[in-house]
Order: sequence, then structure tokens, then C-alpha cells
Amino acid sequence: MTLEHRAFLYRGQEEFLRVAVPFLRDGARAGDAVVAVVCEPVLGALRDALADAAGLVRFFDAEEFYRHPVRTLEQYQQLVKAMAARRVRALAEPVWQGWDAREMVEWARYESLINVVFGDVDARALCSYDRAVLPEEVIDHARRTHPLLLEGGVTVRNGRYTDPVAFGEECDRARRVGRPAGADYLPIRSDDLNPLRAFVGERAVRYGLPEGSARNLVTAANEVAANALAYGCPPVGLWLWRDGRKVVCEVGDHGLWRPRPDPLTGFVPPGSALERGFGLWTVRLLVDLVELRTDWDGTYVRLYIG
Amino acid sequence: MSGSEGGWFTERAVGELRPGDHGWLAYRTPEEREHVIGDFVHDGLRGTVEKVVYVTDAPPERLPGVRRLAGADLADRLRRRQLRVLPLKQTCLDRAGRFDPPRMADAVAREVESAFGQEFRAVRVTTELGRLPAAPGPAGLARMLSCEHLVDQAVAPSTTAMAVCQVHRDALPRDELAALRDAHEVLVAANPEYDDGVLRLVRTFEPHGLRVEGELDAARHTVFADRLARVTALRRRAHLDLSGLRFIDVAGLSLLARHATGVPGGCGLVLDDVPAGVAELIDMVGWHRLPGLVQGRRGSAPGGVVTS
Repeated sequence: MTLEHRAFLYRGQEEFLRVAVPFLRDGARAGDAVVAVVCEPVLGALRDALADAAGLVRFFDAEEFYRHPVRTLEQYQQLVKAMAARRVRALAEPVWQGWDAREMVEWARYESLINVVFGDVDARALCSYDRAVLPEEVIDHARRTHPLLLEGGVTVRNGRYTDPVAFGEECDRARRVGRPAGADYLPIRSDDLNPLRAFVGERAVRYGLPEGSARNLVTAANEVAANALAYGCPPVGLWLWRDGRKVVCEVGDHGLWRPRPDPLTGFVPPGSALERGFGLWTVRLLVDLVELRTDWDGTYVRLYIG
Repeated sequence: MSGSEGGWFTERAVGELRPGDHGWLAYRTPEEREHVIGDFVHDGLRGTVEKVVYVTDAPPERLPGVRRLAGADLADRLRRRQLRVLPLKQTCLDRAGRFDPPRMADAVAREVESAFGQEFRAVRVTTELGRLPAAPGPAGLARMLSCEHLVDQAVAPSTTAMAVCQVHRDALPRDELAALRDAHEVLVAANPEYDDGVLRLVRTFEPHGLRVEGELDAARHTVFADRLARVTALRRRAHLDLSGLRFIDVAGLSLLARHATGVPGGCGLVLDDVPAGVAELIDMVGWHRLPGLVQGRRGSAPGGVVTS
């Protein structure tokens, strides 16, 4: 069995409950591991409607669950693992408010990555989208990240579904280039990254990052710089600046990353620290957003954290 | 300096001891003694300008550090009186067989004074306190303390002599051990396996393993893997005391897991006192992604620092 990944496009709570409640209840009756991840007040309404299946459905507040796309993917993976051999049935409605345009792209990428990470999992996932309130851009992304659509009570194969690699490439186009003229700069000439950690840590704190975030940025920057030294070409350098409420740190070298990283690189949770890709995946966990750019002028890894 | 109940001490690696130091080593295992006293003795004997005075009943060839010398070298050191092994009975006991502190202090002082006529520039003295037949209880302790006092008088003002008093932690009651320790200003510790000012690796003996202090990054992975391999090659479960670890890179975590899965006997690596900052990183990636690593003792180590 493989994943059934459906986008459920609805208008208003009444239509939502008309579909979501039987979807969850049928799963509970069939002995599936059933989870619902939605925001209040819908969460409360669902609980009430499913009082007869109490204890058979696990409820999660989406506000807690959807904070960081790479971490959320890993959380879902843990959830699925904890359900062991049972078939999984999940109703999920990500949080679409409060993100900037760039972050919205990453949440759309997240929906697309679900198809990769859970492709072989025996699960039925229903991702709900309220057309009454969500911007058209979000609905459009939903149509491109789900192989199946449930609309007007009918499930259909989705002709606009886009392969996750191709979709990821599109997402990558949202990445930004260029640096402010006044960015702090540190040339990286030695394998000893102790001075780099001091440089990043001291500025991260000065630019207002809380201590935990500053520590995460130091760890992430150190990892990216160590990779540039190991696999890239000199000169290697690090830039750091503040952009609104975010601190941005970029490590660049003049090498070309070959084979080129694909848009899935570092997004799929590795099985263990012994697998390739563990480093970049951890870097993605540590900061809010990672952008990779490998081009004629070198390889650049940009870290955003706020 | 480290504060402890009863006094202030300077902890010093055995290789950093200076003339005038009267140090104290309460070892936990024979391996620790071999490691610390072995370095003390061997540092003195490997050259030609230092004399080593060892108060013990053990035969010379079985002394810590001496075993590192080739047999011919040991005979040479004994012939040249560079290594002096003083039996307890002749050195420390009076005719009635009672522990006689002034007698011992005199014996040590004689060896120190004669060193210069023998053209040695410095003298290292070590004594196995646990084997002294002091009377039990307060009387015995008083004698031992007076002995320490006399040794201190002989060594502390010296510009050429240093001494290490060694005792197994289990050889004396805890309060006597503390009283004797308080008669010393220097606590002797093992030499670090590695120390470049950023990363410091020190052997631990109970539990068996390594203390990892400072920052572990890619520039130091090779040396770290090498020292780790020495510890895990002994086919015992090794512990890493991480209480002083301020930074570990992501590849360092992979290195630990790779090493732990390859440890002979499959006993893995125990991580003790993981600081909050490092624990956050491990929790983020998940312990289950770090095969072979086991969470051990949880202390109250502070979090990692942001700036180094």
C-alpha cells in the first residue's frame, strides 16, 4: 500500500465537518491509527462531533504542530513510526496565517515533500483547505502538491499535480541573491573554525537573537563552513547581516557542488546520523530557512533565523 | 584552583608539576595509578638528569612507568642510582616495626641531598601511603599527617624536588583520606591525552572513558577519533564525560555514532553529563538517529556557550 494524499477544498466549517467527521470516524471503526491536526476552534468542534469515537482519535493543535516545515515533517515521521504497523489516517490543516511570502513557499514545498517522505507508507492523508478564507495562492499550491483532490464531495485525480522535484525547483526560484553592502564578512582560510564560531556567535547575540537561536546559528554556520572547506574551492567566506527580524548568514565558496543538489537535498529526514545528508538536514532543522545556490560563480548556502 | 570542603587546592596534570610541589593522588583503579604515577616516574627516568625516589615494597620492574623502559635501561638506571626504590621497612619503620615519620622524612631528605653529588638536577619522590603500617585510628592518622608535614617541609621550599603521595581511595577511611589530602596543596591529575587550547581530552578511570572539554570540530575529528579508539579498544563500555563540552559540530555527532556502532562487543558509548546546549542539538536530531550512543548520568552541567 502507498500513501493516499488528498487535498480537501471546502468552504466553511459546516462543509468541513460533513466530510472530516465521517473520514475520521470510519478510520477509528476500521482500527486505523487516526490523527487530526487542526486549529481551534475547529479542533473543539471536531472533538465534540467525534465524542462517540473518543480515545480512538488523537487530536493535535495545528498551531503547535506547524511551526517549522522541516521539523514538522520529522514530527509526522515520528508519529507514523509510533503507530507501528497500523494503517494511518490523518486529517491535517496546516497554519497559513502569519507567514511571509517566502515562508509560504516553504510550507507549500512541505506539502509536496509529504509525497516523497511518506510515499511508501500505508496511510490516508486528507489535507483540508478552507477556500472561504485562504488566499488563492495557497489553494493553487494545494492543487499542485496533492495527487488527489476532494472538491464538492467528489474525489478526482489531480491533473495539475506536480512532481516534488519539479515543484521544489520552482520553490527554489524564490530564493534571494545579493547582500547588503554593509554585511559583516569573515574570510575562512583555516580548518580551525573556532574563530568563525566566535564571529557568528558574538554578532548573532548583538543582532538580537535569543541565546538558543544564536547557538543554533553557530552550529549551522560551522557545519556549512566545514563542508565548504572539505568539498568546495577557496576562497571561502562568510557574510552575516540583519534583515528585518531575521539574521542572515551566508557561506560561499568558488566550487561547484557536483552532483548538483536537487530540490529534495536535506529535506528528507535521514534514518540515522550515519547516512549521507544528515549534516544538511540538521542544518535545516537548526535554522528557519536554508537556501542553496550553486552557480557559475560558486556555491552559496544562506541561513535565515529569527 | 578548586574549592572543596577543608581547603583550596590547585589541580595540576602530572606533567605540569613543578619543583616544590607536594602533590596528592587518591587513585580509583590500578589503571589510573599506572597512568598518572607512570607518567611521573617515566618523565624522570627517560632522560638522565632527574632522579626518581620511590618508597615501596614492590620490586623495581613492577613499578608504574618503569615497565615502559626496556630491561637494559632499567638495570642502567638502578646502577646509576637514578632510580632509588626504598623498601617501606627500612625507610619508614622503627626497630619495633612502628611507622616512624621522622625516619622516613630523613631517608627522603638524604636521597634529595645526595642527588646533586650524583649530578642530577632534580628529584621526583613518590610514596605509597596506603601500604604504611600506621596504627589504626586517630593515632595512625596523626603519624601520617606528621609524616606529610615533614615531607612538605623538605619539598615545598625546594627548587629541585617534587613529591607525589599516592593512595588507593579504598585503602583508608573517607575522613582520613580527606585529612591527608588537606595536607597537600596540589591535587595531581592525569596528563591530558590532547590539549590544543580549544579541545582537551582527558582519560577517566571510573567510569572508564574520556572527558571531553572545550570544542570539538572538524579540525579536531582525527585526533578525537584516535583517542576515542584507544579507549574503546579495551573492550569495556566507555563513558564520555561531556560536562565541559561547549560545542560539538554535527559531523562530530555522526563521528560518535559511527564509532559507537563499531565498538567491539557492541557495548556502545555512554554520554555522561551532556550540557544543555549539546542536549538540545541531540534532542533535535533524535537519539534514535545516533545508534550506539546511550544517555548516561545527567548532571547539572551548564549549557554550551554561544561565543567561544
